[in-house]
Amino acid sequence: MKSLLFLIPLLPLLCGGINALWGRRLPRRLAESLAVGGVAASFGLTLLLWPLSQGEGTRVTFFTWLHSGTLHVAFDMLFDRLAAPMTLMVTGVSTLIHLYAVGYMEEDEDYARFFSLLNLFVFAMLTITLADNLLLLFLGWEGVGFCSYALIGFWYREEENALAGRKAFLVTRAADVFLGIAILWCFRLFGTLSIDAVNAGAASLPQGTVTLLALCLLAGACGKSAQFPFMSWLPDAMAGPTPVSALIHAATMVTAGVYLLCRLFPLVSLSPVAMAAIAGVGAFTAFYAATCALGQTEIKRVLAYSTMSQVGYMFLAVGAGTVAGAMFHLFVHAFFKALLFMGAGCVIHLLDDERNIFHMGGLARRAPAVFWPFLAGALCLAGAPLTGGFFSKEGILMASFADRTPYYVFLWGLGLFTALLTALYTFRLVYLVFAGEPRQARPQGHLPSLMIWTMFPLAAAALVGGLLNLPPAWGGGEVLRHLLGSLAGAAAELTPTLEWGLTGLAILFFLIGWLFARWQFLPAPKERPTPVRTFFLRGWQADTVIDLAMVQPFRTLAAFFWKGTDEGMIDGLVDGAGLSAQGVGGLLRRMTTGRLSTYVAAFAWGLAAMLGWFLLWTLIK
Amino acid sequence: MIVPMSHILIFSSILFLMGLACVLARRNLIMILIGVEIMLNAVGLTLVGASALWHQVDGQIFVIFLMAMTSAEVSISLAMVVYLQRRKGSINANAFDEMRG
Amino acid sequence: MDSILFYILAIAALAATLLCITRSNPVHAVIYLVNALFSLALIFYLLGAPLVAAWEVIIYAGAIMVLFLFIIMMLELAPAEERPGPGWRRWGPVLVLSLVLLGCTILLIAGDPGAAQGVTSYYASPRVFGYALFKKYALAVEVVSFQLLFAAVGAFYVGRHRPKRGTGKEEQ
Repeated sequence: MKSLLFLIPLLPLLCGGINALWGRRLPRRLAESLAVGGVAASFGLTLLLWPLSQGEGTRVTFFTWLHSGTLHVAFDMLFDRLAAPMTLMVTGVSTLIHLYAVGYMEEDEDYARFFSLLNLFVFAMLTITLADNLLLLFLGWEGVGFCSYALIGFWYREEENALAGRKAFLVTRAADVFLGIAILWCFRLFGTLSIDAVNAGAASLPQGTVTLLALCLLAGACGKSAQFPFMSWLPDAMAGPTPVSALIHAATMVTAGVYLLCRLFPLVSLSPVAMAAIAGVGAFTAFYAATCALGQTEIKRVLAYSTMSQVGYMFLAVGAGTVAGAMFHLFVHAFFKALLFMGAGCVIHLLDDERNIFHMGGLARRAPAVFWPFLAGALCLAGAPLTGGFFSKEGILMASFADRTPYYVFLWGLGLFTALLTALYTFRLVYLVFAGEPRQARPQGHLPSLMIWTMFPLAAAALVGGLLNLPPAWGGGEVLRHLLGSLAGAAAELTPTLEWGLTGLAILFFLIGWLFARWQFLPAPKERPTPVRTFFLRGWQADTVIDLAMVQPFRTLAAFFWKGTDEGMIDGLVDGAGLSAQGVGGLLRRMTTGRLSTYVAAFAWGLAAMLGWFLLWTLIK
Repeated sequence: MIVPMSHILIFSSILFLMGLACVLARRNLIMILIGVEIMLNAVGLTLVGASALWHQVDGQIFVIFLMAMTSAEVSISLAMVVYLQRRKGSINANAFDEMRG
Repeated sequence: MDSILFYILAIAALAATLLCITRSNPVHAVIYLVNALFSLALIFYLLGAPLVAAWEVIIYAGAIMVLFLFIIMMLELAPAEERPGPGWRRWGPVLVLSLVLLGCTILLIAGDPGAAQGVTSYYASPRVFGYALFKKYALAVEVVSFQLLFAAVGAFYVGRHRPKRGTGKEEQ
């Protein structure tokens, strides 16, 4: 029974491998079925093996990967109460998105490459989720990074897509350096890379070490989760196909950072500085991304910034000390964000590849099958009362407030204001895309049925997702918190009045955001670029800043080493040696005049030299 | 005693150096060959002087051989001078610098 | 008596050689050289080698120098074939070299105690001469005769008549 656990990541790998090697020769339906089947089988297996995760969890070793001196790393998995729900979410959402992708990529020729990469991605993500030691986790980490790069740049024949893929890879790679440092440091400190050992041994480390280690982990997590300062890749990553955006950049890869911090929570929570940093980064990114989302004109970019913002909330949760809150929001967010992306994909398909929301409109009447699930997702995102999104966001904000220190209260306030902005941009999106009169001149495209019915399960999950972790105040049993047990982190302790007061404030802000958006955007305004709007559109000019701060100096340095050192010095030395040899040779060449008289004279002077020498010798003697 | 050996040697070396000077300073091929002749003669004188000093006949024999070889050498070199004159139209040693560089 | 004769002949030879090497006309140079060779032949006789003296005149002055004259005449050179350069430019370095060499040689000779020995005329009878030549150095005689053969063949080949073609540059 236990060894079946390995099939959970290996089945997608296997199917991905088959598709990669022979996908083109197989019939199309077979290749697609393999891809979907692999992930669906993983989902089924996770459900089947769920009991194994209870208690202390199940630990299995597949084979020894590295064994060198004191370093012993094996391919081992830990299926415990944190990993199990995450795995379930990953495989479940992946299955739905794979089905959606079959419909989405109907007209594309490169289906074999696409599905093999998608499966490979699921394998890597599951490796992250189930890994029991840091090196295996890092393997999965890099794997998702690579798959993300390959999938973002899937339509690589357009240069901007390839560039977007490259940007994603490079930015996350820069962050992964910090994760690598953290892993190496862990090995140095503990002599082992097992996550349990690291978590257990963390208590014996000096405070400064723990803080720095946690900060390195934070930096690594920020890269994959697109938090500040490693966030500039996520909006550009929307160049990839929509299923990719739905799977990777909504539900799974961007949450890998949060998952990492949750896994290493015993280590990270020991340092208040690090916790404050995590919370601060999360809250600030949430605010930043929400403002940027307000200024976007492309439908998928709005959703990308929205993802960035929501993951920021998850970071805020971890920083405030509640793993249960973070994971709750992670799951609910996965449902509604994947749903929103799928809806966006349907919209784009319907409008024949139109992505500008100011050229859309009136789709509610034209395509109700897309509108209703999308609305469900949007309500969850905005935090409408009683939806899953409402409870999860509330949980996070209350955890932050519960800390009572000025810093965390300030972050709570920031989070609350961001919730208002979230509602604002969400309803802006909904009204501009679906409401009013149609503004586009394009003909209607064809919408495969696969793309539609896969949205409904997610819509249902998003709406009722609140039941996962319903707070006692609402009559729920906090299922997730009890599921996570000792891994759940601190519980927020608030008086009921304070709780209801905060909840009421949140509902009030939601209503303000909704009504303001309705007032502004229902009559469908024309797009007017103002400086503020442009500033938000460009992501607070983050790309320019990064270019100036990092890319240009690197280019200058590279040019210096190229022109200055390599060409100037090294080539100069080598060429100079050659040229000087030639010069000396040229000088010496003047001695061979070809004339008899010169050579005879040389004889004579040689004779004189010899005689002189003998004379000198005789004289000295 | 006719004369000390050192005098013969000095006389012979002056002759030799005059021959050398002729070879070095003149550009006419014929004159260069004449210089060589002078040098050979100086050597011949040294040999005869040595033969007289040691009262051996070998020195004189050697001079015989020297003269024989000189005639052989001169005949070939003059034939070559004739050939070169036909080729280049000049017997100035500076004219033959095709091996330059 | 012999000493005085020797010195006179020596000076004559040196003067003739000096004049020889400074003439611009090669024919004049050859004639002065013949003069020098005569003086040398007399010195040889003085030193007791009449055979060598005779051969010096017959072969050297008689055959080799005449050969020179033949070639010079044949080549039909203009009288001043070679431009005599400004005196010191041509002779300067050579004089320096020669004086240096002369100085070295004289010092070397003067420093050698064996060279102060006196030389007396040594006359070898034809019998002794013949013995040495054909018995002791018989092989050398053979080799030299080969060499004369090579020289003859070589001179014949190098100097053979080649048909003129074109303007005057036959083989370039």
